[in-house]
Amino acid sequence: MSAAEERPAAPRDWASIAQKVGTPIASVVLAILIGSLIMWISGYDPVAAFAALYQGAFGTPKAFGDTLLKSTPLILAGLGLAYGFRANLFNIGAEGQLFMGGLAAAWLGLMLAGQPWFVSLPLLILAAMLAGAAWAFIPAILKARIGAHEVITTMMFTYIARYLVSWLVVGPLKSPGQIPQTGLLPVESQLPRIQSLFSEATLQAMPFLKLGRAHTGIFVALIAAVIVWLVLKYTTLGYENRAVGYNPFAAETGGISVQWTTVKALCISGALAGLAGAVEVMGVHHRLFDQFSSGFGFTGIAVALLAKNHPIAVVPAALLFGALSAGGGTMQLMADVPQKIILIVQALVIFFVAAEGIITYFIKQRQKEVTSHAG
Amino acid sequence: MNRKWTRILAIMLALVLLVAFVPGCAKKADPGTTDGGTTPPKTTIKAAMVTDVGGLGDKSFNDGAFQGLERAKAELGVEIKVLESKEITDYESNIDQLATAGFSPIFAVGFLMTDTVSKMSTAFPDVQFGGVDEFFDPVPANVVGLNFKEEQGSYLAGVVAGLATKDKFDSKLNADNVIGFVGGMDIPLIQKFEAGFIAGAKSVNPDVKVISLYAGNFSDIAKGKELGYSLIEQKADVIYAAAGAVGLGTIEACKDKGALFIGVDVDQYETVANSGDVMLTSMIKRVDNAVFETIKAVVDGKFPGGTIKAFGLAEEGVGLAPYHDFDSKIPQAIKDAVEKARTEIIAGTINVPTAR
Repeated sequence: MSAAEERPAAPRDWASIAQKVGTPIASVVLAILIGSLIMWISGYDPVAAFAALYQGAFGTPKAFGDTLLKSTPLILAGLGLAYGFRANLFNIGAEGQLFMGGLAAAWLGLMLAGQPWFVSLPLLILAAMLAGAAWAFIPAILKARIGAHEVITTMMFTYIARYLVSWLVVGPLKSPGQIPQTGLLPVESQLPRIQSLFSEATLQAMPFLKLGRAHTGIFVALIAAVIVWLVLKYTTLGYENRAVGYNPFAAETGGISVQWTTVKALCISGALAGLAGAVEVMGVHHRLFDQFSSGFGFTGIAVALLAKNHPIAVVPAALLFGALSAGGGTMQLMADVPQKIILIVQALVIFFVAAEGIITYFIKQRQKEVTSHAG
Repeated sequence: MNRKWTRILAIMLALVLLVAFVPGCAKKADPGTTDGGTTPPKTTIKAAMVTDVGGLGDKSFNDGAFQGLERAKAELGVEIKVLESKEITDYESNIDQLATAGFSPIFAVGFLMTDTVSKMSTAFPDVQFGGVDEFFDPVPANVVGLNFKEEQGSYLAGVVAGLATKDKFDSKLNADNVIGFVGGMDIPLIQKFEAGFIAGAKSVNPDVKVISLYAGNFSDIAKGKELGYSLIEQKADVIYAAAGAVGLGTIEACKDKGALFIGVDVDQYETVANSGDVMLTSMIKRVDNAVFETIKAVVDGKFPGGTIKAFGLAEEGVGLAPYHDFDSKIPQAIKDAVEKARTEIIAGTINVPTAR
C-alpha cells in the first residue's frame, strides 16, 4: 500500500503512453504479419518481399527520397484530418479540398509567371490554403447552422471539386497538345528538389543528400506539423477545438461557441488539405491534371487514425504509408510480389487501428468492472 | 494494470524487433544472389512494362500489353517483367528501377506517362522505350510512340450499330433509329472513337441519331451505369462505350434495361462475365500486337526509335472482335457491310475522320 502511494501518478502516465504508442505499433506489426501470411499462402516469399520493400523505401538515399516524396502530401492531409477529429469532426472530403488547393496553386502559379520565387511561393501556398478552407467553409456553415453532417456534405463537395478540376484541365486551363493538363508552372513557382539546393561538390561529399525526387515540400509539411501541435497544445484556438471535441455541451456551458469552433475547425482542416494539394502540384508534377492526387485525402484518414490524431505522430504514420507505397515497385521487381499485396497491408493497418478502438473499449469496460469490484 | 501493460509492451517490442530484423538480415544476402543471378547472359533482351494506375486486371490495355509481353516470352524467349503503378508518382520510380536493372525495351502504358517517358528517355539514352497511346513531338531517338487508329475500328463498330438499330434480329432492338456513345474524358484521344463511330453509323444509316455522353473519367463504374440508363431512356438500343472501367457500368445498364453493347479495347465478351446476351461485338485495340511487334523489332535489331507508329486496320492494330452469341442472329448483310467498309478503309477509299 505504502509503495503505491509513494508513486501515485507516474506509472499511470507510463501505462497510458505505452498504450497510446504501443497499440498503433501493434496494429502495424499485426498487419505486416498477416500480410506476410497472405503472401506465404499465395506462394510468395514474404521475407524477400519485405526485404525488397525495405530496400525500395529506405535502401538508398534516392529510395528514401521517394518515401519522403510520397509522405509529404500524407503528412499534410493527415494533419488536416487529425485537427478535425480533435473537434470530433470527420472531414472525409479532404480530397476535395486538396483538389481545390492544387487548383489554386496551379492557376495562380501560371498567373504569376515572371515573379521572383520569394513572392510566388508564399502566395501560392497561401492561396492553396485559402482555397482549401473556402471549400470546407460551406459544409462547415451547414454543419454549424443546420447540423448537416459533414461526412455527407464534404464528400459531396469532393465530387464537385474533382469534376471542376476535370473540366478545367480539359477546357479553359488546358495547355496545347493531346493531354488534358495545364501548362508547366514557371520555375519560380515550383518547390525545388532538396538535392537541387546543394552544389555538385557538396552532393559528392555527402551522397546521402542525393534524395532524388524528394522536394522541399517536406519541410512545409514538417513545419505545419509543429505549428498544428503548438496550436492544439498552447493556444485558445486549440483548447476550444479540443474542448468541443471532448464534450460540446460542456464546452458550450463553459462559454465556448460550438458553432464558431466547428466552422474554424473544418476550415483549418480544409486549409491543411489544400496545402497538401499545393505541394503535390508545386513539388511533384509542376502542373495540374485530372489525377494528380492518388487519393491522398483518403489515405490521410488512415494516417490520422494511426497517429491517434496527434500532430507530431502524424509524421511517422505518414512515413509508414509513404514507405509502403515507395517500396512497392522494388517489391515487384525483386520479389515478384504484385502491387496489390501492398494495398492489403495498408488495409490491414487501417483495420487494426480501427479495431483497436474496440479493444480499448473492452479493456476500459473490464477496468470499470475491476474497480467496482475492488470498491 | 501496470504490470499487464508492461508485459503487453514487451511483447510488442519483441514483435517489432523480430519484424525489423528479419528483413534486415535477409537484405544482406539478397543483393549478392540477385546480382549473381543476372550475370550469365542467357537471354540478351529483357523487356518490361509499367502499367498505369489501372494496373493489371483492368481487362483493357494494361492486360493487352501484358499479353504482348507474354507472347514475346513464349515466341522470342525474352525475359519479361511487369511493374504495376499505384500512384502517379510510381511511374517515374518504376521506369527508373527497370532501366537501372537493365530492362530494355520498357513499355509505358497510357498517355499519362508521356512526360515521364520523355524525361526517362533522356536519363537513360541507351534504353529503348515504347509509349502505348503516347504522342511525342519531337520523338526522342530511343522512343517509339505506339498509337492506334481507333477511328478505323470505331467506324466498323458504327457500321454494325447503324445497321443493327434498323434491324430486329434481337428483342432488345427497338423501333427508334437511335444509338448511343459513352466516352471517358472528352479529349481528342476519345473523340477519335466517337468520330469514327458516328461516321460509320451514318455511312450505312444517314438518318440515325447518335447521342454521345462523357463520364469525365475512366474509372467511375456507377457513372457508366447512369449514362447507360440515360441513353436507353432516350431510346438508344445499341451503345458503344470507349471509357475504360466506366463501360462496365454501361454493360450493367444494358443488361438491366435491355439494350445491346459494343465493347472496347479488348474482346469484352471474354473479359466481362455474363455479358454475352448484350455484347454485340467489341472494337479491339491490339495493344498486344503493337507491343509484340516492337519487341520483335528490338530482337531483330530494327527498333523504330524516334517515330510514332500508328496501328490501323491494315496493320491489324485495331479491328472488331467476333460476334460470339450474336453470330447466328446477325444478318449476313451486316457482316458483309462491315467487311466492305474494312476493305475500303484499308484500300484508302474511305477516309475516316478523327474529330467531330
